[in-house]
Amino acid sequence: MKKNVKLISAIGVAVVIVALILTGILKTAGTIDVVGKGSVDSFEAVLSASDSGVVFDEENKGWKLEAPDGSAGFIWSGNFSESPLFDVMLSVDAAPFVEAGLDIEKLPEYYTVQDGMLLVGTQLGEDQGKEEATPKAAYEEIVRKYPHQIGYHTPMDHYNISLGNGNLFEWAKNMEMNGSVKEAQDKDIVFVLHPEPLIAAGVDPEKVEGWAYTTVSMGMGASAEEMYKFLKPFDLQ
Amino acid sequence: MKNEVLNIRGMTCAACAQRIEKVVGKLAGIEQASVNLASEKLFVEFDPEVLPLTVIQDKVKKIGYEVVEKTDSSTVVIPIGGMTCAACAQRVEKAVKKLEGVTNSSVNFATEKATVVYQPQAVRLSAIREAIEKAGYEALEINRQDAAKEDRERKQLEIKILWTKFITSAVFSLPLLYIAMAPMITIVQLPFPAGLDPMRYPLLYALAELLLVLPALGVGYKFYTVGFKALWQRSPNMDSLIAIGTTAAVLYSLYNTWLIAKGNFMGVDHLYYETAGVIITLILLGKTLEAVSKGRTGEAIKKLMGLAPKTAIVIQNGAEKEIPIDEVEIGDILVVKPGAKIPVDGSVVEGRTAIDESMLTGESMPVNKKAGDPVYAASLNTTGTIQFQAEKIGSDTALARIIQLVEEAQGSKAPIAQMADIVSGYFVPVVCGIAALAGIAWYFGTGGDIEFALTIFIAVLVIACPCALGLATPTAIMVGTGKGAENGILIKGGQALETAHKINTIIFDKTGTITEGKPTVTDVLTTEGVEKNRLLQLTASAEKGSEHPLGQAIVRGAEDAGLPLFTMENFESLTGRGIEANIDGHTILAGNRKLMAEREISLTAMEEASDLLAEEGKTPMYVALDGTLSGIVAVADVVKQSSRAAIEELHHMGIEVAMITGDNKKTAAAIAKQVGIDHVLAEVLPQDKSNEVKKLQELGRKVAMVGDGINDAPALAQADIGIAIGSGTDVAMESADIVLMRSDLMDVPTGILLSKKTIQNIKQNLFWAFGYNVIGIPIAAGVLYLFGGPLLNPIFAAAAMSLSSVSVLANALRLKRFQTTVGKGRVSRP
Repeated sequence: MKKNVKLISAIGVAVVIVALILTGILKTAGTIDVVGKGSVDSFEAVLSASDSGVVFDEENKGWKLEAPDGSAGFIWSGNFSESPLFDVMLSVDAAPFVEAGLDIEKLPEYYTVQDGMLLVGTQLGEDQGKEEATPKAAYEEIVRKYPHQIGYHTPMDHYNISLGNGNLFEWAKNMEMNGSVKEAQDKDIVFVLHPEPLIAAGVDPEKVEGWAYTTVSMGMGASAEEMYKFLKPFDLQ
Repeated sequence: MKNEVLNIRGMTCAACAQRIEKVVGKLAGIEQASVNLASEKLFVEFDPEVLPLTVIQDKVKKIGYEVVEKTDSSTVVIPIGGMTCAACAQRVEKAVKKLEGVTNSSVNFATEKATVVYQPQAVRLSAIREAIEKAGYEALEINRQDAAKEDRERKQLEIKILWTKFITSAVFSLPLLYIAMAPMITIVQLPFPAGLDPMRYPLLYALAELLLVLPALGVGYKFYTVGFKALWQRSPNMDSLIAIGTTAAVLYSLYNTWLIAKGNFMGVDHLYYETAGVIITLILLGKTLEAVSKGRTGEAIKKLMGLAPKTAIVIQNGAEKEIPIDEVEIGDILVVKPGAKIPVDGSVVEGRTAIDESMLTGESMPVNKKAGDPVYAASLNTTGTIQFQAEKIGSDTALARIIQLVEEAQGSKAPIAQMADIVSGYFVPVVCGIAALAGIAWYFGTGGDIEFALTIFIAVLVIACPCALGLATPTAIMVGTGKGAENGILIKGGQALETAHKINTIIFDKTGTITEGKPTVTDVLTTEGVEKNRLLQLTASAEKGSEHPLGQAIVRGAEDAGLPLFTMENFESLTGRGIEANIDGHTILAGNRKLMAEREISLTAMEEASDLLAEEGKTPMYVALDGTLSGIVAVADVVKQSSRAAIEELHHMGIEVAMITGDNKKTAAAIAKQVGIDHVLAEVLPQDKSNEVKKLQELGRKVAMVGDGINDAPALAQADIGIAIGSGTDVAMESADIVLMRSDLMDVPTGILLSKKTIQNIKQNLFWAFGYNVIGIPIAAGVLYLFGGPLLNPIFAAAAMSLSSVSVLANALRLKRFQTTVGKGRVSRP
């Protein structure tokens, strides 16, 4: 009996300690999805910094964040049943790739060419979603419904949204810190294309104008893997 | 001064043992304090008038260890029959409690059992049973708890608890290790729950790790309670190292979890929960294996303890009654039937039998016993039923004394352990210092990489292993002395063990050692006019007062010849020379050449005959009647069968062998020749034997003296190692360093070889224990990494640390394979 009381007390104390630790941590975080939550604030900052570059793309039924030079854009929709092609996608100028040997016919089905732009992305779902009035609200809807699409690129200190098949749109967690804290975190937004389908479709990666074909450290800690990507980074400030 | 042995619980490494020794050793009134980590015992020699035992116990408790109270009380569980309600239980309880000497009585009606705590010296168990029966209930067959069983059960429980803790820890730590490592492995794509993806759900990932490490930390709570307490008391031990290392890992991880919660996801790369969890698991595994191995080192004692029977048949009021062994009292008449064990020491009063005393002497041949002969507890009655009177009970029996001697030996320390003891005392603080210095150095060396510095800090703390150092010597001594005891070789401690292996000269006493010690009269030669039987009769009558084996042989010779002995007067024993007595109006001198020379008695008439007898290995005893040589009584002793083989074996081991005797030179030379001895020291008086030993020691020899422990105690004491041969007599036990229970000389080389093997084992253990730390700590501190080599992960450091203790124990247990092949002229080498 005495032993049982001791055991029950010990378990009780352990449960209280665990509860306290969890409460403290969750209270600090506000939510378990800290990446999603953090990404909303950063994304909002990016939107604010490129105010003139954010427009609603009627054709694709989504908000579009355009690069300062107009050569690329990130399109996202908060109303998943409305977007005709993809719910999240990149829209990039096809010309540099075509000049580097791209045979459009050889691209996989998740690539589309529209008005001289290459569109690549993914469908998140078919649910109705809310009629979102603001680009931030549309993004929040994605975070809420498809949190696993949102990631964090540790070596760059960037948030990212997966567009499927290794394609990403990344933005700085804190644009203010760019270049001052981490040398690597030197751009505010980055359009990331997975090079393999493009190379398979005839692109000579070294000849793509306006895109950096380089290795990027992906993954975490010791497992961070160096992978080749096409990058198109921009500073917004 | 008083000696006491206290059972200590809660020690985890040599540093704990050192601390107890140090603290207790400082108390006023303490002569000596020695802790054996392997047997978990504190041996204290103290002045009880200056320092009560309770003060020592309190001091040990105060520094954080448990002293298992020794109590004079016994506990017995008696099944009760005939109880019908709770009131019956109350009644039985009251009836038993009323008895003087009963400390507590508790009756459980549901289980129908009475648990009684009582003092055996104040109340007999039979009286308790009688009280129950008088109250109207039935006292059924009892279930008594004995100390050995309790100890065994305690150790088994300890192993079970450790095993459960290890399994619990492993169940949580393995998935923890998996989720910590799987995302880092790039060679193969290991399945991983998407919901825990550290890149997408870093907080969930960190919390999952935290939740998985908590059970491991919970089952390893003792590392923290003991470790931090010891640290607080400025005597850190192995637990402190584990506690500091894993706490640092957990705190750093908690900090990073908090950072993640705050939005700094870089923290996900700096979680070390799995390091703490796996370290605890591996250390628990090591501790479990260590407990299993430690239990095996003390098996010899357990075997000895298990020899004693649990009950005895006593004759009470003319009827036989079976009672627990603790109930036997001195003076009781006990009955032992064929096939049963003798319960206590005593003397046969009725009946004849043959008793197998191999447990005491190692001699497999049963010994015939008749009325008046002694019998010993735990020996086996083989043929007839005997009745004997109990003379020594409890801790006074020969078996109990042997157990005590072996226990003391196992608890003793060898001088070779001193270095390990000194190092252990400073080990943990030094390791803490090295860990801190290495961490700081790497922190600055890497330009402020706190994570790298932490890895180094934890690895150094966790790899350092004071346990291996602490276990190196006592485990080998325990197994070595235990193995000796199993073979009838009682080595009285680490000092004896260590000295014995250095022996290069052995001196054997002749009578009773090289020879059987049961001489017989072979020749009676007389001068003209003296009748042989008359001479033997007079000499035997005079020798009746002598305790010397030769004198007793002459008495037996006369008795065998049917010669009645005369009344002797004015007997005087002339040490080393002979005797003098008055018989039937004559003055009789019987003794050696020296005695005759002193009394100016001419030996010319019998010189030639005397020399001839001596050359045949016989001892001529000159007899003078009223100052005139009247004849010689020659006595000869048979050389033991094993003597020649044993001496050959000793020669084979490179040991010089000498024989010492009070006998004349020629007889001694003849015996020496028979057995192949190199040097003979003849005509040496008993009091001069120690001088002869001393002379050899002055020549730089390490000398062992082998004797029967009766008349050569000074020589045994003077020798570097005194080896008493023959039996467990009190004198032998007291004066010798090694006691050989049987009379077989082959046990001498066996004992020396066992000591060599044990010391060799200790050296191997110390080499590995020191070597492991000397190599492991610099590697953990990043010395190899500094020169482009690998960096040691703290998890591997913990695994290595656990294995180091286990490897030392496993090596010590190899000694259990030591075997002897007596009688073939060789001692087998493991």
